Amino acid sequence: MLKFPYCNVTDLNQALAQCRFVGLLGPLASRRQSPRAVVSCSPSSSEFSLTPVQAVMSCQQQVGSSLVNRLRLGGLTEDGLSYKEKFIIRGFEVGINKIATIETIANLLQEVGSNHAQSVGFSTDGFGTTPTMRKLHLIWVTARMHIEVYKYPAWRDVIEIETWSQNEGRIGTRRDWILNEVATGEVIGRATSKWVMMNQDTRRMQKVSDDVKEEYLVFCPREPRLAFSEKNNKSLKRIAKLEDPVRYSKLGLKPRRADLDMNQHVNNVTYIGWVLESIPKEIIDTHELQAITLFYRRECQQYDVVDSLTGLELTEDSKTVSVGTNGSATATATTREDDHDCHRFLHLLRLSSDGREISRGRTEWRKKPTR
Amino acid sequence: MVATAATSSFFPVTSSPDSSDSKNKKLGSGSTNLGGIKPKPSASSGSLQVKANAQAPPKINGTTVVTSSVEGFKNEDGTGSPHPRTFINQLPDWSMLLAAITTIFLAAEKQWMMLDWKPRRPDMLIDPFGIGRIVQDGLVFRQNFSIRSYEIGADRTASIETLMNHLQETAINHCKSAGLLGEGFGATPEMCKKNLIWVVTRMQVVFDRYPTWGDVVQVDTWVSASGKNGMRRDWLVSDSKTGEVLTRASSVWVMMNKLTRRLSKIPEEVRGEIEPFFMNSDPVVAEDSRKLVKLDKSMAEHVRKGLTPRWSDLDVNQHVNNVKYIGWILESAPLPVLETHELSSMTLEYRRECGRECKLQSLTTVSDSSVGDLVNVGEIECQHLLQLEEGSEIVRGRTQWRPKYAKSFGNVGQIPAESA
Repeated sequence: MLKFPYCNVTDLNQALAQCRFVGLLGPLASRRQSPRAVVSCSPSSSEFSLTPVQAVMSCQQQVGSSLVNRLRLGGLTEDGLSYKEKFIIRGFEVGINKIATIETIANLLQEVGSNHAQSVGFSTDGFGTTPTMRKLHLIWVTARMHIEVYKYPAWRDVIEIETWSQNEGRIGTRRDWILNEVATGEVIGRATSKWVMMNQDTRRMQKVSDDVKEEYLVFCPREPRLAFSEKNNKSLKRIAKLEDPVRYSKLGLKPRRADLDMNQHVNNVTYIGWVLESIPKEIIDTHELQAITLFYRRECQQYDVVDSLTGLELTEDSKTVSVGTNGSATATATTREDDHDCHRFLHLLRLSSDGREISRGRTEWRKKPTR
Repeated sequence: MVATAATSSFFPVTSSPDSSDSKNKKLGSGSTNLGGIKPKPSASSGSLQVKANAQAPPKINGTTVVTSSVEGFKNEDGTGSPHPRTFINQLPDWSMLLAAITTIFLAAEKQWMMLDWKPRRPDMLIDPFGIGRIVQDGLVFRQNFSIRSYEIGADRTASIETLMNHLQETAINHCKSAGLLGEGFGATPEMCKKNLIWVVTRMQVVFDRYPTWGDVVQVDTWVSASGKNGMRRDWLVSDSKTGEVLTRASSVWVMMNKLTRRLSKIPEEVRGEIEPFFMNSDPVVAEDSRKLVKLDKSMAEHVRKGLTPRWSDLDVNQHVNNVKYIGWILESAPLPVLETHELSSMTLEYRRECGRECKLQSLTTVSDSSVGDLVNVGEIECQHLLQLEEGSEIVRGRTQWRPKYAKSFGNVGQIPAESA
């Protein structure tokens, strides 16, 4: 039995603040039912809200904490509202440019999101669902993804990714990421994504009550925190649907078994690969992907066949789309100097069979820096 | 996707990606340094850092915490009330109490855990990023990998591609840490001078058990001589926690002149560089001496055409990565096999490589069974051929499959002891 010769609440405040309670909640929470409360001990607030902790504290579980948790170079941040993890870029994660591919970056974002969910006590099977969601047969699906990479890490570089999630609108949740290079501390990328809940059985999006949302929102910052805080940032840009005829295409893409996730669906990162399939070789050889935005409309199953279409994006300023007579893509807005080496494309992924849209997207490419 | 070399990316090498590598050449012993990385102890709140912030005492007993904070409070306050604080008449309300208990418990437990794991696994501190290090008298290279969520396949176990990538990664890192990575294409410095490269000709892998999400695997790799002019690289993959053997693999490499594309003997200078690293040991996987048959269309029961590489299948030289070939071969296995069985072993012979513009087809024959009956059969064996549609052979293979959830009772492998 613990003794607490506290004299008053203020002493308790001090003790708790010093102990960084919330930060410590992380690793333990994964080994029991999700705790119902979080204490926010941010130094800026002079008082804090406490709600009773209902979790049972059984130390036996904690001592056998998994090796992977210890090896994982990440954890909740001090205020418990975001999660950071370090990764080293491995040899098989780099591509033809000797730098990490966009698929590697996307995979790491997914991994960090999943580890965040695990560390706050959600499922340990990688789906990131809360207990109530599982009871209601709900799973998370991505609705939108936007990634910007300012500098691609190379083999053996160590990067750190911070992620957090927040409420968005009535049915969505947003997850944001910031990537930085550990060696220099510079921000090398940012990303934001929108997720909605889908019923596993009906495969339809489902609204949930606020209580269900609250289960995970306790771990989210209440004050809006955006990876892309600037107004009119690219992540919000509307993407027009590409119409035939399109400039570039790659038809008949079939999901491989390796593209399926644990849910037996084509995972989101594969879509990125499909979008890139119809980019012409001249661009891939000389440019690197600066930003990619994808709206996910329909899920793709193992036996679907997909067409990937790419067209040039017409910008507001340009009067005509200039296309070289040899068919190679040239900048859409040649009037603006800063776009001289920048290419922008619109994309559409659709089912080969009936043309239904699976995903639409937008990419921006910049000239490869000399390394 | 692999940062590797000329003919095949199973190469234990690559052209060094950046200048930080020049700081890393350390022969043999010690752990590799990350030249470009300056660990910042005060940086983010990774799990290693949390204890610094916890300021929690190594005791569960709450009094120690309280005393220090109370004292702190007193000092700041300035007034300080020296009257004795009795427990009974100062009971805080219950929710506060519960929260306080939790805090202290968590803080203490955190300290406890930190103290607990340090001595048990000192190697993790030396190698926090899992780059790997040389063990066992400088001849074996060891690296840990945790299985990430996106590396899990539809079967909920780590995909074959992930496991093969780990093997490849340790091979490259071994060469790097042993100083056997010259400039350019998968070759030692002496080899580079003579335009020689290593080419993998044969690969055998046995999968005893597949790791799942959250597992940490330990990959050990070493090299030995193979005949007079070849090299053999072996791998032993085990579960870091239990030591159970998960995968065993053995590969054979020969030397080729990259300009003439002809096989070459190992020159004396190169022998001098690599022989110190050879272990005298038997292959970790007993050699499957059965000849690999070349299938032709008339024999093949299943043909999958129109396989074209995606951008992500290519390595730095725009050749298709070896690991991807395995993926294609497996993709073409009959669906009933894929759904009810898991790969228990495979033997591959590499013939040629291909690039982005290739169109391939994959032929598969199931030996000794009819497809319709597959669900009821125990072990299944398949023969494979991956070739360009116009005919050139890329890879020949044989795979064995066991029903999912069946345990394998193969020999437990061990790192061979160095024999003088």
